[in-house]
Amino acid sequence: MASVLLPVSLLLGGLLLVPQLFGDFFAYQIGLYLIYGIAAQGIGFLWGRTGILPLGQALFFGVAAYATAHALRDVDGLAAQLGLAVLVLGGIVAVAFAIAALIFRGRSDSGPYFSLITLALVMAGEQIANTATGLTGGFNGLSGYDSLGGLDPFGNFYYLVVAAVVAVSALLLWLDRLPAVLIARAVADNEPRLQLLGFPTHVIKALAFAFSALIAALAGGLFASHQGIVTPTSIGFALSTELVILTAVGGRFHVFGPLLGAVLVGLASAELRDSFPYWEICLALAFVLVVLKAPGGLGEILGRLYHRILPRKPCKLPEPVQAPVSRAGEAPAPLRFDDVELRVGVVRILNGVRFETPASGIVGVIGPNGAGKTSLLNTITGNLPPTGGRILLGDRRAVGLPPHRALGLGIGRKLQVPSVFFSMSVAENLAIAMMAGRARWRDYLRPSPLGWRAPGLDAVLDTPAVPLRAELDRPVGALPQGHRQFLEFAMTTAAEPRVLLLDEPCAGLSHDETTLMTDLVRRFQADTGGLVIMIEHDMAIVEALSDKVLVLHQGRVLAFDSYDAVRADPAVQAVYAGGTK
Amino acid sequence: MSSVLVLNLVWQVGTLALIALGLAIVFGQLRIMNMAHGEFVMIGAYAPVITAALGLPGWLQLPVCVITVGAVALLIERTVIRHLYGRMFDSLLATWGISILLREAVELIFGRGYQSVAVPVPGTLYLLGADYPAYRVVVIAGIAAGFAALAWWNARSKVAGRIKAMVGNPDLARAIGINTGRLSAASFVFGCTTAGLAGLILAPTVRIEPMMGLDYLIRSFFALVVGGLGSLEGLGLGTAIIAGTQSLFGAALSQTHGYLAVLFISILFLWLKPNGIRSSSR
Amino acid sequence: MSGLLAIDTLTGGYHDTNVVFDVSVQVAPGQVLGLFGRNGVGKTTLARLVQGGLRPATGDIRLGGRSVTGLAAYERRALGLGYMPQTGMVFDDMSVRDNLYLGENRCPPDAYFDRFPRLAERLDQKAGSMSGGERKILAFVRTMIEDTGLLVLDEPSEGVQPENIDHMADCLKERARDGAGIILIEQNMTFLTQVADSYLGLDAGRVCLRGDAGEVTDGQIKAALAI
Repeated sequence: MASVLLPVSLLLGGLLLVPQLFGDFFAYQIGLYLIYGIAAQGIGFLWGRTGILPLGQALFFGVAAYATAHALRDVDGLAAQLGLAVLVLGGIVAVAFAIAALIFRGRSDSGPYFSLITLALVMAGEQIANTATGLTGGFNGLSGYDSLGGLDPFGNFYYLVVAAVVAVSALLLWLDRLPAVLIARAVADNEPRLQLLGFPTHVIKALAFAFSALIAALAGGLFASHQGIVTPTSIGFALSTELVILTAVGGRFHVFGPLLGAVLVGLASAELRDSFPYWEICLALAFVLVVLKAPGGLGEILGRLYHRILPRKPCKLPEPVQAPVSRAGEAPAPLRFDDVELRVGVVRILNGVRFETPASGIVGVIGPNGAGKTSLLNTITGNLPPTGGRILLGDRRAVGLPPHRALGLGIGRKLQVPSVFFSMSVAENLAIAMMAGRARWRDYLRPSPLGWRAPGLDAVLDTPAVPLRAELDRPVGALPQGHRQFLEFAMTTAAEPRVLLLDEPCAGLSHDETTLMTDLVRRFQADTGGLVIMIEHDMAIVEALSDKVLVLHQGRVLAFDSYDAVRADPAVQAVYAGGTK
Repeated sequence: MSSVLVLNLVWQVGTLALIALGLAIVFGQLRIMNMAHGEFVMIGAYAPVITAALGLPGWLQLPVCVITVGAVALLIERTVIRHLYGRMFDSLLATWGISILLREAVELIFGRGYQSVAVPVPGTLYLLGADYPAYRVVVIAGIAAGFAALAWWNARSKVAGRIKAMVGNPDLARAIGINTGRLSAASFVFGCTTAGLAGLILAPTVRIEPMMGLDYLIRSFFALVVGGLGSLEGLGLGTAIIAGTQSLFGAALSQTHGYLAVLFISILFLWLKPNGIRSSSR
Repeated sequence: MSGLLAIDTLTGGYHDTNVVFDVSVQVAPGQVLGLFGRNGVGKTTLARLVQGGLRPATGDIRLGGRSVTGLAAYERRALGLGYMPQTGMVFDDMSVRDNLYLGENRCPPDAYFDRFPRLAERLDQKAGSMSGGERKILAFVRTMIEDTGLLVLDEPSEGVQPENIDHMADCLKERARDGAGIILIEQNMTFLTQVADSYLGLDAGRVCLRGDAGEVTDGQIKAALAI
């Protein structure tokens, strides 16, 4: 906890000294910059962690500001005002969550478009604020109300702003150490992988967006009380982009970055705007330079300087803790395809695929390039919903579900090209995988799941030739391709799925690494007693591992039998000539 | 509906299409979310102001416009944009900074006040039963001819494919022999220059001021959102829907309603058809 | 020096981290050099240094007697260097046809369609919607038809079914017979030994084994690949 308490107390101490050292008017000015800083912290959280850039945060800021102005003017009593504030904040959170969840549902690529939607929303808000004179006072705005609780905006209201800054900062610092933010960062890193690990990414993104909206709204409420007037500029396009600029300049990856940006830019503007005609140009130039040369902003530059003076402590790996039982590993069940068809545009990829696997064992899938092998796996995990037919796992239908529901059915999948979280360490990758199918809501808000371990994962890590144990604190981006294959295998099996789908797990591996991988696959199947479906080109591997072999050709099942029987099948021989590495 | 309204609509669609064309290349092809696109419209609109201030003859407006806008665009591409290919969010932020920079620079040179310039082709033409400004008729014809020529060239040239290849996989594009530095600079400058030309065309019909670009940026972005990126037909459809919606709602109710209707349609498209009207369901 | 490609004490890698050290090798017209080694020893890095995607720290690369060390990848392509990358080897959001016709070709792709008929069937499909093996085949054919005299291929057989690997071997032998120099990086040693007439083994970024097909034994190759 020291890493939260120490910086927060320093911040609190520094801010409390401001009125004493510089006087009340200066504190009033700083108060305004801090209010913008709070809203920018919300942007920093969303943009720096999940990678979603909100261009319309002033919408939430402005709506809350107008609501506060109305409450202060028309509602009597602090309790009633605060009750109304909670109601408004709740409403804003609900609306923000609903918008984002709707837009993000069913896709993993609407980042830039989402930014444009937020931009369009804030522009609509500004138009309405300008024209709905009865509600907003139009161009002149709402004014002539007292500050919240009768505090003096030029005096003791400053301490309320400081309290809000400290509370938001402490909350954000605390979150940064928890699985919740690790998962949020995983969304920005590799969303399809996170979905295959069973996480509903559209809900995660919507939650993060709603949280940042809440922070913006909180700042908007303070703003209305602090300024004593709310005009359409408080809900405008210009304020939205200014908040983004403050966040970028200050640094979106650090909790204090946006605060720093808001205060520094605010002070410099107040000082220079009138005396120095080129000030706006200089500010714009500085902003462009930050984007180009220092994407982490001032926060990262200062952080680097700080760590040059005080070297960073080697990052401590979390305590290993026994993990709860995975919910993905129910009793093994056979997988059945009933006349499954898949068309993409005019191309027919699967043409009535029909087979039923045993509940347990290893099924090798072979077939010429383009036979539909990877597409077959895509229909099972919901990445490509079939255009006809049924897929059953035991007695449960596995069709029409989005990819993040596959793990809940007990289906784990390793992709063809290793798909892991490239910006994170091996330990963080494994932590996310261990939470898959195990974590419940409250687990995301406590640190212990970061160290979860289970016998299955330990068995993989303890295998002597598997290179991961020594690389736990290394960033995955620095690992060679082969090591990433083992990491992704360890991540996919961590949830102990009853059906494991492997897409060419030995691609790009040397001969010895291939032997190691086949050993791991065989052992996983023996330990769990589940089903493994593996696409493989190398017939030696297929022969060594498979209990049954499924031969696909032009989107149809050509044969499904033991290796020897398939090998002897003249139809198979006609289209498929075997060979080994 | 009166014929003047129809001709006005054609004028709106034509000029917006020219602005959106530049953005379609820069945003749609190069994947640079150019928030300074409207500022190139603005600089183009200042070209007649420049020639007038320097006492140059009127026919120099076109070369002055192309050279000024092209030089600014090339400078920005070489210093800023070329670091931003493949970084869409960063391109948005940096070009937002550039747009502020350009507005402030123009304001320092020409002042904040409105400027206006004379129509180069005076008089009216009798068209479809109404008198209509000859200048607008000439411009509409010119834009139509320009788009036809572009469509003809696009169908024969490998350039569109090469740009797509460069943006999708720059390493591989260089490996098969594409000079990506030159191609991207040329595309960016071309896109910005069409916006500047649109500014020059619009100059006699609007109030020229440093802030004028923002509205054109937003509307051309939404035209691309509605029409989808990557085809000239989509561009035409998108601009027709955006300009048409704004004109009709604007004429029937008020400017604000026209504006809100455009926003509403854009949000609907972004949500339900993020690849534009011509894309089949995903 | 009559060689097509001459690499002289080449050292280089990513940013300031060198991955390849002091590699010297020459490739003559008609020669197929098999480049092999375990994962992460610098094969792809060496290929990209030769191709121009990465700039070497020290050393010299000569193509047809002319130093290309300071030239960009597209300039080396114009001098006749063809390259098939290990990943990102096709333009995913373009059709198979556009992938094949984008560059300057020495012959139309039809010449390869009887060996790889799937490509002809899928000309209008997006390359990104094809399977991994099909994309490798597409990139391979693209590299074959380009008007180049030196080919660098980084693991073309990964994910490709054995029958098509045999076709690839035939294509490579044909190009070599017609005078092209080829550098072939492979994990699949059956394929590599089928076409290579000389070998270069890398370990930790340095040459650990070199020689003609006759001189290098299976045991030496196995030793170079052992973990």
